Amino acid sequence: MANVVLKNVKKVYDNKVVAVHDFNLDIADKEFIVFVGPSGCGKSTTLRMIAGLEDISEGTIEIDGEVVNDLQPKDRDIAMVFQNYALYPHMTVYDNIAFSLRLQKMPEDQVYEKVTNAAEILGITDYLLRKPRALSGGQRQRVAIGRAMVRNAKVFLMDEPLSNLDAKLRNQMRAEIILLRKKLDTTFVYVTHDQTEAMTLGDRIVIMKDGYIQQVGTPTEVFETPQNLFVAEFIGAPKMNIMKTDLIKENGKYYVTPFGTKIEVDGEKGALLAQKGIAPQELTLGVRPEHIILTKSGENAIPCTLEVNEMMGSELHLHVYTEDGTRIVLRVPTLELSAEERASLVSGKELHISFEGKVMHFFDKDSDQNLLYG
Amino acid sequence: MAKNTLNSGKRHMGIRAANALSNTAIYIILIIISIIWLIPFVCIVLQSFRVESTYQVGYVVPKQWGWDNYAKLLTSDFKQWYINTFVTALVTAALQTVIVLCMSYTLSRFRFKLRKPLMQFMLVLGMFPGMLTMIILYRVLKDLGLTQANAVPGLILVYIASSGMGYYVSKGFFDTIPKSLDEAARVDGATRAQVLYKIILPLAKPIVIYTILTAFMGPWGDYVFAKYVSMGTSSGMNVAVGMFGWLSQDQINSSYTMFCAGGVVVAIPVTILFLCLQKYYVEGVTGGAVKG
Repeated sequence: MANVVLKNVKKVYDNKVVAVHDFNLDIADKEFIVFVGPSGCGKSTTLRMIAGLEDISEGTIEIDGEVVNDLQPKDRDIAMVFQNYALYPHMTVYDNIAFSLRLQKMPEDQVYEKVTNAAEILGITDYLLRKPRALSGGQRQRVAIGRAMVRNAKVFLMDEPLSNLDAKLRNQMRAEIILLRKKLDTTFVYVTHDQTEAMTLGDRIVIMKDGYIQQVGTPTEVFETPQNLFVAEFIGAPKMNIMKTDLIKENGKYYVTPFGTKIEVDGEKGALLAQKGIAPQELTLGVRPEHIILTKSGENAIPCTLEVNEMMGSELHLHVYTEDGTRIVLRVPTLELSAEERASLVSGKELHISFEGKVMHFFDKDSDQNLLYG
Repeated sequence: MAKNTLNSGKRHMGIRAANALSNTAIYIILIIISIIWLIPFVCIVLQSFRVESTYQVGYVVPKQWGWDNYAKLLTSDFKQWYINTFVTALVTAALQTVIVLCMSYTLSRFRFKLRKPLMQFMLVLGMFPGMLTMIILYRVLKDLGLTQANAVPGLILVYIASSGMGYYVSKGFFDTIPKSLDEAARVDGATRAQVLYKIILPLAKPIVIYTILTAFMGPWGDYVFAKYVSMGTSSGMNVAVGMFGWLSQDQINSSYTMFCAGGVVVAIPVTILFLCLQKYYVEGVTGGAVKG
């Protein structure tokens, strides 16, 4: 139970590759923070620097107010769950979980109590005497979590703990991690490349790319007010639709003109544009798939052709392309369509789509920064 | 449907019969090879029990059986040679195993500046025949007073001095043990040394056994170097050097059967060592460690 402070942390590997640039972050006590980004963005490296498994090239890392740069992993009082579980194959599940406690020279009766207690919480009591090789992937991951749990460490680190599990198990374990977090009530740092995990687990999310932090914020913040185009596209599935367009101003009102339409930017977004005094310009417009609707032909309706129709159960993902070849994805709730309409949505069908001004995101066409929140 | 089952059953029988036939052939060949292989050993054991004469004879099975040759070993210098060899081999095995395993762990897990050059240097160094060093090593040992009667510590010194260079096999094995196991243990609170003996060594049991065996066998069967370092002083000889003396022109007629008995006694500890340790040659110890 401790806060973690990273100040100007930089990681340069021996081959001169810079994995992490000037990383600054305050992680509050008992906060659940998620590092998310595509592979190679430096998120795991940052986590391993907190764990002490990688040297810190520049800057400092503090855990609970103490600079830990020169401390060995064993002296940092951290627990870690690895992507590939890293269970000790020659030990039983019981011995695996008890390993760290025995290294602390804890009396055997206390070890027994802690291990059985953790096993009960994780539902692995029946497997305590088995070797890891006799367990399934999900069970192994539980053991790995159990091994970290019994430590009562100051900080709980997890390096893509769910990415080796199948989709169904991943959903289940994600829910269990939320419950576990409530029980442990400690500081969590969680690394993942999956934005769904990041959104559902994190109190705050750190989105990284090429070793730089792109944005730090709550799931709502990063979803609703992405600071740049990368964050906007990374968070949310399917990803945000991007189109080049012009922002124009007539009679004090802002309009955008994608695909020959003229849509007024009304509501909060319009007010913000005016407030910030954004000049009319060419820009990159972002609209999330769930904010685009199917419509009839008419004013401001964009004609397009259906390419792929993905039936997801509760909703349809329609992949369409406009007359100039721009690909757009929209999410349509299944219930909004009649059976006939659903059946008619086949490849090649001509459709019309539209969206409103209040759901738009505006990005600078060169710097990709959000014009309103960047 | 029924016809299909019948057909596949027939085919199945055919494969079985063919398998049985080739297995039988293979076993017969193996049995013949092992008989040829074992004949010299059987001869030596039989000769060691021959008491009617002590010289070489034209038959294998003794006419009179007895323990006389073994009893004579106890009253000869053999006892001293045996102790010399045993002490040398045991101390060498212990030290060499520690050195080789530490060396392998270091080269497998640590990344330091001269790691690659060091490995290349040792590879090149290993290409020089060990015999080349014999004369200079003898001079050094003589100056240190570690030859002849003091040959045992001298030999131990020579055997373990270059043992770090035998790291290849165990380093190769250590490399196959996932690094995340080390990392997990270090996060769990283990020191580097604890990682080695609590995680790596138990997982590398076959290779540890292999290292111990080879480290023991080297000095146990050494002749050339032990001969030079002991330089004709009986109290500094090992069994190979000492017993070879029994085969000289003037001694062979009186010592041949004793030589055979000595050979049997020399083989005993190695045989026991192998029998005890062979069960550890288990593969797939790392199964289930990490998602593969």
